[in-house]
Amino acid sequence: MRRLMKTALLATAIATSAAFAGSAYAEDSVLLPNLSYRTGPFAATGTPLMNGQRDYMTMLNERDGGVNGVILNYQECETGYNTEKGVECYEKTKAEGAVVTQPWSTGITLQVLPKSNVDSMPILAPGYGFSAMQDGKIFKWAFNPPASYWDGASMILQNISGGNLDSLKGKKIALLHLDHPFGKEPIPLLETLAKKHGFTLLPIPVGLKEMQNQSAQWLQIRRERPDFVVMWGWGAMNAGAITEAVKTKYPMNQFVGIWWSGLDADLKLVGDAGKGYRTLSWSFPNNEAKVMKDIKQLVVDPGKSMLNTSTGEFDWVFYQRGVLISAMLAEGVKEAQKHFNTKVVDREQLRWGLENLDFSEAKIKELGLDGMIPPFKTTCANHTGHSGAWMLEWDGTKFVKASDVLQADRAEIDPLVAEKAKEYADANQPWPTNEECKL
Amino acid sequence: MELLNSIFIKPFQDMVAAPDFLLQVLWEGLVAGVLYALIALGFVLIYKSSRIFNFAQGIMVVFAALTLVGLHEKGIPALLAVPLTLVVMLILAIAIERVVLRPLVNQPDIILFMATIGITLFLVGFGELIFGGENKVMITEQLGIPTGSFTFEPFGGFVSIEQKDLTAVIGAVVLVAALLVFLNKSKMGRAIRALGDDHQAALSVGISLSTIWILVWFIAGIIALATGIVWGARAGVSFALEVIAYKALPVLMLGGLESVLGAIIGGLAIGILEKLFEIYWGQPLMGGNTETWFAFVFALIVLLFRPQGLFGEKIIERV
Repeated sequence: MRRLMKTALLATAIATSAAFAGSAYAEDSVLLPNLSYRTGPFAATGTPLMNGQRDYMTMLNERDGGVNGVILNYQECETGYNTEKGVECYEKTKAEGAVVTQPWSTGITLQVLPKSNVDSMPILAPGYGFSAMQDGKIFKWAFNPPASYWDGASMILQNISGGNLDSLKGKKIALLHLDHPFGKEPIPLLETLAKKHGFTLLPIPVGLKEMQNQSAQWLQIRRERPDFVVMWGWGAMNAGAITEAVKTKYPMNQFVGIWWSGLDADLKLVGDAGKGYRTLSWSFPNNEAKVMKDIKQLVVDPGKSMLNTSTGEFDWVFYQRGVLISAMLAEGVKEAQKHFNTKVVDREQLRWGLENLDFSEAKIKELGLDGMIPPFKTTCANHTGHSGAWMLEWDGTKFVKASDVLQADRAEIDPLVAEKAKEYADANQPWPTNEECKL
Repeated sequence: MELLNSIFIKPFQDMVAAPDFLLQVLWEGLVAGVLYALIALGFVLIYKSSRIFNFAQGIMVVFAALTLVGLHEKGIPALLAVPLTLVVMLILAIAIERVVLRPLVNQPDIILFMATIGITLFLVGFGELIFGGENKVMITEQLGIPTGSFTFEPFGGFVSIEQKDLTAVIGAVVLVAALLVFLNKSKMGRAIRALGDDHQAALSVGISLSTIWILVWFIAGIIALATGIVWGARAGVSFALEVIAYKALPVLMLGGLESVLGAIIGGLAIGILEKLFEIYWGQPLMGGNTETWFAFVFALIVLLFRPQGLFGEKIIERV
């Protein structure tokens, strides 16, 4: 009986202290969940990104005690890149008091987009999601800084055409893409540009089950002999495509990928044979940047990181891109705190923060992110910010910069953004727009 | 008229016009078919001896390949890592028999099937805990598998054959031949077949159910390792390999769940036909990516005429 009493008392004490600790913690923290995918066919791509995101938040908490004394409560909800699980994670984290959602898949983003209006939940989808989310007046709650897929498609074409898209006339460009909303995203812009500049666009879809065995797609490439292959790949598709390209002896200098097709580990599979492969990227790893040194000292060395040190993941483009993504979110929180003169920001306040991100050269330096990202600025009307991007090239062991910062052709993209944003809003009526935005 | 031409005439004209390309397509289809057949064999063996549809076959491929690469990363030489991986697969087979199958003896088939889904989920989590989720490089060269390619120039064109693909085909043929000899000539092999034919009768003559189950799960583990090495050499080792197990489903529909020969012929047929269809009909007429569904449609058409599959057993039950 005494033992029973003792156990009951102990349980009560733990429950009470947990409740108090919970409320005290909640007052000084802000919940920033990440709908991560460390499992499943896309884990290879997701893991280093999630590690980078997690480590930046841990570093800020360790170094600065969070942001202005507020702990950044970074939590992951595993989706396996599965849209249904992603929606479940969205609902779960919303119920737990999340002030943002990071859906990490164009499919999940499209599913939660209508919900975000109802729930007043900011969606942060850096470098992915629906390109028309750029239009902040229509997509009040959605953000895709610092560049959209249409920005990416435009920059790739500019790079391969030497800056003059008319020089692509009569040429054939294959778009090797994942047969998924993400992979299909650049098609509307590429079709428009193909018509205007007289090149042939050849979309070649890769099914989720075919990612590891793309021999049919590469036989088609061998038969069609495109002048360029542009890859919109994710997860295991990238490694499959790069190994098939080597096998098919497709010239690597005519093979270019979007920023999610530049995972160091995928290229390491082929090593020297991948020399010349290029990937567009709005981020670049810089181990000498102050942030990276702080992460190493405060998170990696003390063993608080989940990254795989044996593979050199710390140096990878994707790991350091994850760091940048969390930096954007933390800056959103900071901007909101300053503007609303508060500590623990709510969803509406964070939304304001995210549409007032100003990653100027000076701010990038101040944050210790030198050379890792080109400048960009979001506004209430422009939720992308358009940083531009570098073309990176695989030199056999790592990616190196192969161009200055490229810029997308706004004159081509903006009308399409306006058209598709309106189309989306019309198809999802009643769709609230941001009437307060006067830009 | 144009449509009829592009369905019935043009594909064959293309084949004749570029015979070297046709040869390349057939070779790629053959390699894919061999791999499908290997995975399907894993399913067939377990089903034949225990009436369990092993949903975990795909994750076993991943687990075996990751164990091999993981052991090598720990500094164990590749050729020693292979037998050690087999020991791990044997331990896994024993654990599955003891923990999962034995307590479920005499339960309905669907319960056992659900249990294999449980094994899949466990192995996904366990594998990720130990090996992490990132893509790993298969230790192809360390295993002595040649990585170059042979290039032929038939009909004025060229056909490229990867040496590792050729090794995969030869390896698979040897493995299947050894398996057939084992099943037909050895005492244990005959016991597996006896158990597949009639559980009660086999048990009544003293065949040990648990030993046979461990044996077939171990053989499925060997097949998983072979598949993992071959497929991992093509595109790296990651959990994405798990999805290739689904490619075996139409092979099983076509070949029958109980026929070793059916798995082999079904795998080869689907590998070659889906590649031919994709290249000559799918890509020009449907925008490509027909490989995701072609095999299922083809298998369903075959089932319309032979519900038991090409080599399945026609079971007549008198009631």
